[in-house]
Amino acid sequence: MSHDHDYHDHAHQHAPETHDASSQALAEALRSSFAIVKIVMVLLVLAFFASGFFQVGPQEKAVILRFGKPVGEGQTALLNAGLHWSFPYPIDDVVKIPITEVQHVKSTTGWWFTTPEAELTGEDLNAGGPLNPAVDGYVFTADKNIVHVRATLSYKIDDPIRAVFGFSGDTNTAFNLAGVSNAVQAALDNALLYTAARFNVDDILTRDQQGFKDAVLQRVSDLTDQERLGISIYPGQCEVESKAPRQLQSVFDQVTTARENRIKAIQDAQSYTNKVLNEAVSTADAMTNEAATASANYVKYAQADAKQFSDLLPRYQANPELFVQFYLTKTISQVLTNTEKWVEPTSDNGKSTELRLELNREPPEPKAAGN
Amino acid sequence: MKKNLFTVIVGAALVVIFALLLFVFQVRQSETVVVSTFLKPTDTLTNAGAYFKWPWPIQKVTRFDQRTQIFEDKFSQNLTADSITLLTSVYVGWKISDAGDFLRSFRGSVPAAQSQLEGMLRTAKSGRIGKHLLADFVNADPNELKFDEIEDEIKQSVQSQLSTNSYGISLEFLGFKRIGLPESVSQTVFDRMKGERLVLISRTENLGRAEAQIIQSAADRQAAETIANANATAIRIRAQGEAEAGGALHVFQQNPELAIFLWRIDALKQSLNQKATLIFDERTPPFDLFQNLPTNSVSQ
Repeated sequence: MSHDHDYHDHAHQHAPETHDASSQALAEALRSSFAIVKIVMVLLVLAFFASGFFQVGPQEKAVILRFGKPVGEGQTALLNAGLHWSFPYPIDDVVKIPITEVQHVKSTTGWWFTTPEAELTGEDLNAGGPLNPAVDGYVFTADKNIVHVRATLSYKIDDPIRAVFGFSGDTNTAFNLAGVSNAVQAALDNALLYTAARFNVDDILTRDQQGFKDAVLQRVSDLTDQERLGISIYPGQCEVESKAPRQLQSVFDQVTTARENRIKAIQDAQSYTNKVLNEAVSTADAMTNEAATASANYVKYAQADAKQFSDLLPRYQANPELFVQFYLTKTISQVLTNTEKWVEPTSDNGKSTELRLELNREPPEPKAAGN
Repeated sequence: MKKNLFTVIVGAALVVIFALLLFVFQVRQSETVVVSTFLKPTDTLTNAGAYFKWPWPIQKVTRFDQRTQIFEDKFSQNLTADSITLLTSVYVGWKISDAGDFLRSFRGSVPAAQSQLEGMLRTAKSGRIGKHLLADFVNADPNELKFDEIEDEIKQSVQSQLSTNSYGISLEFLGFKRIGLPESVSQTVFDRMKGERLVLISRTENLGRAEAQIIQSAADRQAAETIANANATAIRIRAQGEAEAGGALHVFQQNPELAIFLWRIDALKQSLNQKATLIFDERTPPFDLFQNLPTNSVSQ
């Protein structure tokens, strides 16, 4: 202000009238410029604070670092999709992380060389050749055999701060889940190797596939806990596949066939057992039932005979000969009713005629067509 | 006056913002920072926060990623204590533990550090694997398996070298990623496996046959026992019945002749109960009645 005052005094003392007009114009121009500068200053301050707005996309989360430290802990430190504001750098710093609910890793270090195209078409590359350790993966079993194994694992991020700020994916400084994904991948590779080293080949391939899978999961879980990766595994979303070397597939198939044949032989024997025992039980039941019936009949018949005897005895004692003739004749008439009878005539000399019977005669042979 | 105060506040804010941008820098939780004054490292900052620095060219800030990185070495060939050639590859989780040492040792280059790490891993693996048998790597007996111990020994060996040489990096964890055999050895393993499979096939089939035979024999024996038992039971039941029936014999003692006659009659009825053909002489009663009948020849 004193500067303005001096300027005006000086103008009144030395400058002519024409200078007053130009001075006024200059003063106006300065005032206008100063006003513009003030507006620019305000806009700069506003722009600084407005730069704190940021947007989080649908497939990502964000973490605010205030003086380098995350604001919040665990899941509460994560900002969801939407518009957010933070103090501009160097007070706050926003880190965006591409993150989804379920993460996946796949281990193929124990699998033979193949390509996605070959996988889709089912083509088996270099099926008959030897294993090239540079490209063909496999694992050693406890009985020092070779098998191929691969696995797919699903997990979720429990501690996103640890996952993002604890592990780096590459030599760059990007903030993402690549680092923790690499660590989980390495743990899965190690788990397949370690677990196969404790299991025999037949357990891995056929006898105890579930046990092998459980042991792989346990090893991965142990390693991720030890390495503090901040993840948890979905046990139900782990797939472990194992196969015999393609070079030996034929003999492994023969072993499978032999095992199936063994099972079938045992099942057949068990079926035979059921059949034989059922028949034996039926026969035994029939024998005992028949014996029981016969036994009951013995008693009934004996009682009936005794009763008949007692009933007939008075009549027999009255006239034995007549009773015998009567009873015999009556019986003969009864039994001959349904019997085929042949009466052989007596010859004139009083002797019986010769009678020839063909018993169990064989059927006549068919005649030839020409006859 | 109010206008001027507003202008002063806005101006002061701008000055503060400018000063913050020029003199303050942030160290993130994931980084370690080396501050160099006139190109000479003078301070190492490892804790997250806001720090003061003089603007360039007086001071310069170099940032290093302090997060754990995963590194995998290449296959290397080693002999076990029982002279088995193994190809092994390991993964390590490593991080920069001292940014100053790291900057001095590798000029801040991560690939240079990884190259150094790979050489140390190769040496450590060679030293440790050679002291173990193959059975220490693969074994069905958990007490005999030394997988974790071998991993730990290699890690300790590398960690010791890193500390001795002050490389400014440390190992967080180490594990085997792959274990393999040279191509020619794997073919030998295949030959052995094939032999074992063929033996297994033969043994399995023989075992199946033997088991089936045992089951069938047991079934036959059990069936025979069942029938024998049933036969014995039937004989006992019949004997009981006969014994009970024998109680009626005293009735027949009153007249044995009549009893025998009746039994014979009963036997005759029983024997002719089924379809039968009888051939009689015409003199047999009652067919002898036909002999006294008048015939046509007599009338003629």
